[in-house]
Amino acid sequence: MSDLEQGKRNDLLISPFLVMFIIHSNQVGVGVLGFQRYIAAYTGNDAWIVVIVTGLIFHIFIWMMYRILSDGTFDIIDLHNKWFGKWIGTVFNLALMMYLLLGTVVILRTFIEVIQAWMFPELATWVPVALYLLLTYYVLAGGFRTVAGICFFGVIIPIWLVFTATAPIKFSTFSNLLPIMDHSLKDFALGTRQMTLSYVGIDILLLAYPFLKNPKSSRIWAHMGVILTTLVYTMVMIVSLAFYSAGQLQQSIWSTLIAWKVVELPFVERFEYIGITFWCFVVFPNICLTMWGASRVGKKVLHIKQKYFVLVLIAFVFTVCVMVVNRDQVDYLNTLTSIIGTYVYYFYIPFIFLYSMIWRRVKRRI
Amino acid sequence: MLCAELIVLKWFKKGASEKPETLEEMVKDLKQSIDFVAYENKDSDQPYRLIYFASLIDPEQLHRDLLPYIKECRSKSLEDLKGILPIENIELSSKLPLIQERLLEGHVAIQLSRGQKVLLVNISLRKSRDLSAPEIEFSVMGPKEGLVEDLHTNMNLLRRRIPHPRLRMKEITVGTISKTKVVVAFIEGVASEQNINTVMQRLEDLDFDIISDSSFIGQMLEDNSLSVFPQMIDTERTDRITGHMNFGAFAILTEGSSNALIGPINFGQLLVSFEDYYLGWNIASFFRIVRMIAILASIIATPLYVAVLTYHYELFPSKLLATLISSRSDIPFSPVIEVFFLEVTIDLLREAGARMPTKVGQTLGIVGGIVIGTAAVEASLTSNILLILVALSALASFTTPVYRMTNTIRFLRYPLILFAQLLGLIGVALLGLFILTHMIRLTSFGNPYLAPLYPPRIKDWYDSFFRLPYVMQKNRFQFFRGNQSKRFKDKKKRKHSLDFDEQ
Repeated sequence: MSDLEQGKRNDLLISPFLVMFIIHSNQVGVGVLGFQRYIAAYTGNDAWIVVIVTGLIFHIFIWMMYRILSDGTFDIIDLHNKWFGKWIGTVFNLALMMYLLLGTVVILRTFIEVIQAWMFPELATWVPVALYLLLTYYVLAGGFRTVAGICFFGVIIPIWLVFTATAPIKFSTFSNLLPIMDHSLKDFALGTRQMTLSYVGIDILLLAYPFLKNPKSSRIWAHMGVILTTLVYTMVMIVSLAFYSAGQLQQSIWSTLIAWKVVELPFVERFEYIGITFWCFVVFPNICLTMWGASRVGKKVLHIKQKYFVLVLIAFVFTVCVMVVNRDQVDYLNTLTSIIGTYVYYFYIPFIFLYSMIWRRVKRRI
Repeated sequence: MLCAELIVLKWFKKGASEKPETLEEMVKDLKQSIDFVAYENKDSDQPYRLIYFASLIDPEQLHRDLLPYIKECRSKSLEDLKGILPIENIELSSKLPLIQERLLEGHVAIQLSRGQKVLLVNISLRKSRDLSAPEIEFSVMGPKEGLVEDLHTNMNLLRRRIPHPRLRMKEITVGTISKTKVVVAFIEGVASEQNINTVMQRLEDLDFDIISDSSFIGQMLEDNSLSVFPQMIDTERTDRITGHMNFGAFAILTEGSSNALIGPINFGQLLVSFEDYYLGWNIASFFRIVRMIAILASIIATPLYVAVLTYHYELFPSKLLATLISSRSDIPFSPVIEVFFLEVTIDLLREAGARMPTKVGQTLGIVGGIVIGTAAVEASLTSNILLILVALSALASFTTPVYRMTNTIRFLRYPLILFAQLLGLIGVALLGLFILTHMIRLTSFGNPYLAPLYPPRIKDWYDSFFRLPYVMQKNRFQFFRGNQSKRFKDKKKRKHSLDFDEQ
């Protein structure tokens, strides 16, 4: 059924531990540059707890996804068709494609918003969008192994920035974090919903699963990926809470970038420029993965060759990105993704999970 | 006029299409060259005829090992003569294509009576220059033995270094006109069969007229000929060739070329000087890392200069900015023009230096480098900070141990400078992403180019960015996928470690 199964082209598969990089790189995007104030708006100095709790919830999602995918080497496209029949399955698959494309647009457009806000106020949106999308085509043409490679380097190359994020500690007051746990449960719930957007991205596993060698043994690495993300987010959040006062934090849109200004090197004054430059490497795997996922749906559902369908997708993403012109629209896109992401994770994945459990039990009985 | 052209055309056509049917026709055809000899001796007791290319055979051997025996031979048959002659590998044939081929390889054809049958004896003349020290890949330590243009000498050099029965050398002829002999050497078992099959297949599929050098073959065998990255190593060092064969690579030797090709390779091996193996592991590792940083700096130094000074000058602290401003205040150009001017100058010097005889080249380098550089700064064409940057990065680019890689590094700078001018740091990062993607996709004979970094093979890291001591290099690289993974036997470990003042 899956197109990989014929002959099991081993050369196309990737080793299970790369899942860690795929998961992590698809989770971390532009959000980490300014997610703090949205969470702190609800939970204030307890925001870091929300980060950890959301991270733990996502471990449950990983577990669910591996249970959903547990038999055979099918991806979610096959499973949709198998469980819901061709028509409803196709509707689900197309919805999935649109969701992935929305992910591409949001991350790409938000990152370009950052570039425009900090480095090139005059830059026309279409220039970096076009360059990024051309690069994406080049990556996708190399197959999933190349996509995974981009994920790998997208984590490895900028990893040193983690250490620079600790620079503001010198000027921080950690008593800002006290008292711990003085927010209501409702605040925590709202914060968690808000935090979900930053953790969204593990859904790519539903499509990448058939491309893994020994997919079952990769689960530990998927969890490691989420742990890595949680560590990065928690660290950034704690540093931001200690560095900014509550009022300041609410006023800074890109808190992480502003905090980077504190970094001092003998030959670099405005370190956030270096940060944004390296963020090109962080953002790129997101674009590649989501575009890859969307083109897989096109290949399997619409039966269009990926090499042509990716062009269609690129044209679509390009048009949408160029149509978004100001900060408000970017914000709207982010909010929209946040809402859809919340539904995908808190309703769709548990639903599919339960459905697969019941379906298997019923089938076994018959 | 037209008539003459027609005749010429006809003559060529005739020459090309008409194949000689008999030996006599062939002799008549070949006689058109002055170095072709068909000598008939009717006066001796034993009439005979010799056919050969005088330019290809060794006259001394002809006179010493051939003629006396032919005269002594009483019998009329070629078979008897074959038994008498003190030379090995004598063929008896009447097949015209074979005879012609052998004549062109330096054989002499002997006839005792008129007919189609000839005796083919190999007395070809081999002239090769003496062995000399490698000139391109110079090293302070280690053997100073370079390949020469003669295939046999080269094979001898390799075989002497690896006197192992499993060292296989497979020959194949490439080139429709040059008929160049190409030898693929590898150690069976150590090299993976798949790689050997791939290279043999590609060599067989090669269709080209004249192979002037091994680099022709190198370019035609590569997986991606659009890439600027070398996918095989050109080397003249015998220690490097044998070392790589022991890793599991194969070497391609070409007649008439003093460079061997090594493949499959990965990117890291292009940054490895073989001298690293002659120094202590810690020192060697340190210098290897220095070299890698140098190469990276060499590629991005000037693009960063352009990006920062064009768009992001606020990146610099005010003190450094003051220095930069004072050095650039008189310069009427934008940074990108300044940089292009100096980079092109350096590349000009390099090109000129490469074409000049060594001694002139050195003088030219000094004159060009110092005089033009100083003059350019004094004339306010470039800033002195940029001059330092460009000179350093030029120096750094020459730390690469493989010559072709040096060229790649020098080339990569120009698109980076262009993108730095277009989009500043973001442009540099985007083009960096493109290069990264390209390298991820690139393969060398089907093996990933960025291995062992990606796909990550941590077991291969003992000799990559750094080099661990030889004791820890028990296993061969997984990269080559050979059968014999062990290089040498494990010594038994001491049971307990000694304390101070114990023996």
